[in-house]
Amino acid sequence: MSSLLSRHAECAFWMARYIERAESVARLIEVHSSFQRGRSSAESNWAWLVALYSDQKTFAKAFDQATGENVIQFYITYLENPSSIQSCVRSARENARALRPLIPTDMWYQVNDFYNRLLGFSSTDISETRLSRTCDAIKRGCYAQIGVAENTLYHDEIWPFFRLGLFIERADQISRLLDVKFAQIATGLKADKSQFDFGFWALLLRSASAYHAFRRIHPSAVEPEDVARFLLFDRRLPRSIAYCLCEIQSMIDLLHTGFQLNHAARAYEQMEVLAGGLNQAGRDAALLDRLHAFNDWMQIGLASLATELGYAFFGYQRPGANIQTSPHQFQTQTQN
Amino acid sequence: MGTVTTLKTPGSDAPLDHYNPGPFYCELLGSPENRNRHLAALWHRLQQQDLANLAARAKDAERELFTLGITFTVYSDRDAIDRILPFDILPRVLTAEDWRIIDAGVKQRVKALNLFLWDIYHARHILKDGVIPTDMILKNPNYRKEMLDYDPPCGTYVHISGTDIVRNGKGEFLVLEDNCRTPSGVSYVVENRHLMQRAFPDLMQGFVIESVSEYGSKLCEKLLEVAPAGVAEPQIVLLSPGVFNSAYFEHVFLAREIGIPLVEGRDLFVDNDRAYMKTVSGPKPVHVIYRRVNDDYLDPEAFNPESVLGVAGLMRAFRKGNVTLANAVGTGVADDKAVYAYLPRIIRYYLNEDPILPNVETHICREAASLQYTLDHLDKLVVKPVGESGGYGICVGPKATKAELDLCRDQLKANPANYISQPMVDLSVCPTLTEDGVEPRHVDLRPFAVTGRDTWLLPGGLTRVALKKGSIVVNSSQGGGTKDTWVLREDA
Repeated sequence: MSSLLSRHAECAFWMARYIERAESVARLIEVHSSFQRGRSSAESNWAWLVALYSDQKTFAKAFDQATGENVIQFYITYLENPSSIQSCVRSARENARALRPLIPTDMWYQVNDFYNRLLGFSSTDISETRLSRTCDAIKRGCYAQIGVAENTLYHDEIWPFFRLGLFIERADQISRLLDVKFAQIATGLKADKSQFDFGFWALLLRSASAYHAFRRIHPSAVEPEDVARFLLFDRRLPRSIAYCLCEIQSMIDLLHTGFQLNHAARAYEQMEVLAGGLNQAGRDAALLDRLHAFNDWMQIGLASLATELGYAFFGYQRPGANIQTSPHQFQTQTQN
Repeated sequence: MGTVTTLKTPGSDAPLDHYNPGPFYCELLGSPENRNRHLAALWHRLQQQDLANLAARAKDAERELFTLGITFTVYSDRDAIDRILPFDILPRVLTAEDWRIIDAGVKQRVKALNLFLWDIYHARHILKDGVIPTDMILKNPNYRKEMLDYDPPCGTYVHISGTDIVRNGKGEFLVLEDNCRTPSGVSYVVENRHLMQRAFPDLMQGFVIESVSEYGSKLCEKLLEVAPAGVAEPQIVLLSPGVFNSAYFEHVFLAREIGIPLVEGRDLFVDNDRAYMKTVSGPKPVHVIYRRVNDDYLDPEAFNPESVLGVAGLMRAFRKGNVTLANAVGTGVADDKAVYAYLPRIIRYYLNEDPILPNVETHICREAASLQYTLDHLDKLVVKPVGESGGYGICVGPKATKAELDLCRDQLKANPANYISQPMVDLSVCPTLTEDGVEPRHVDLRPFAVTGRDTWLLPGGLTRVALKKGSIVVNSSQGGGTKDTWVLREDA
């Protein structure tokens, strides 16, 4: 019988999610800002990033206009924004703090050091000239965090929970990205087709580190549908939804058969629903027309999967319970 | 940090050339009457060191503590700030003979304290025989009615204890305080040694020093001894108030060393008077809880109903004998500063032995004569409130201003039973690396004892050092640091 506390399992799950989220945000900002360069400021559009995370309300409270400068600040250093990179890494660190009895010192050190470096960012670091370097440093910080976990964490029951958080978050991020980008086309195509040139698709692929791999598979042309299918279905691409679902599946398998945690059954079923839906979408000849609906369905499905994991392992109460995601409590006592 | 040094006047003299411990007993050189350098080997070793180099390495050592996360945590409104306990690289050394006295003395004390607790929660012979005032015990806020007639396994209430010991001008060890609730600091003992071994192997070379790495396994062994009878594989957990507790690192350290889950109140529940933890495979029975949560917060059903740190129903499971709490509830009455004054009598009463480690002379202000004596000699005494810990609320007469003395006098008169007073103890000093070179600084010692069927002491203990010149307050909350504490296997 496992001695892994439900709370610790959930902390591992969220630690990985927050790191992956920080990485995604850095990726998006970096790729989008380089796309903006060489275009007129009239064409500059940063509001889509706010739309991607459905953060319009929080953003409006803090800033008047979705200028590049404001949006970048909002998503990198603005601590009031829970989905800013600093907030994500702080949350990852607080989860790591709760996990300290279980994680190697290296893993704690890395997240601690990473967060302290982020706190040191000034407005210069997120100015146009330094932005690319800063995003790169954030990405590398995240790679190092995942890497140190991969290479030092004891692979007992905590391991699949860490991986589940990582890949559920990644699948969610890629689905959101596809959704927003293809929505831009849907509205934009009517007005001006020229802005959806090669650069636009290269940008989308680069935000998933998928550009060069895509060129190898499709050397001749960049067709929107090929791009969508590559990011959705290619099992060799570490940032495709298909790849993420495979990883999720093998981790639930590991929990169920490897660690004999039998109540993984419903999470497994939910996983199969997602895999089935993805297969079906792969056979859909009119996929692009239904892409928004599919992405909606995928994001909701991933959220239910996370909730099923919560019921099965994190101690969530099934009917309409309060979901606790933060390990914080504020009561203290003195020690002698 | 490289070659940077914090020394103000790096001279060419050897480190100890200007070292002068004044009227105090020095842990390195011996008593003021006879500076016979009783640890001559170490004295010579230190004399050969280059001070600037030592200082630079000391900086590195402190930074290493920080990066390793060997910290206590201070919380501001938004962020967790990790601080290290300042570490002084010059070790405090105890001879084998020193240690024999401390080891025997602490064991005697712990034994007497456990017998005392059993008695006051059962037949109360000691009160009936008039050795201790009945109301001092029965009206003590730390006396828990819930403990009446409860029989703890092995008769042990105090499983983990830390005894604060000082050394006077004659070199005698005296007990300043017993800590029978949730004493902290043992993690620094082990981590300081690891740091010493990594950073200053040259200082240690050639000395045969008792190991401190056994603490986790010994504690585990003792906790298993007190597990409820008939459980094949008892599950031990460490109950922490959580990441916001200043000693959270120590809880992490202990859980890792013993190899047990670090739980919080919300990870546990009680069903049908049995305790369980919530794991990914469902509820798992728990049999021994090393709790670092105070009595008041332990069970909202029995104590503070507002507590979210505890577990509802835990006291029921405990009273039924289904789960052992270490330490037991209600041990605070034994380390009360007023009860402390009676400890020599308590030892004689139960063991029919003289105390191996005497107390510091203590005046109990609830007694009229002692109160008068205290008021008359306020500027020469240390006045301590009986209910406080961590060095808070103490008035050090010889160092207090007139206003502070007046305030203390008023408080004494208003509530005399709340205070004890003691003469200033000439706390021993130990060579310590400061920005003015090697200087004497006052130290105390907190050895840690673990008790199941019997008692085991971690050789050495936590040496706390008052880093401020002349200060005798060693508490970490008030500018204290720590030193590695060596127990030599052979007399050096």
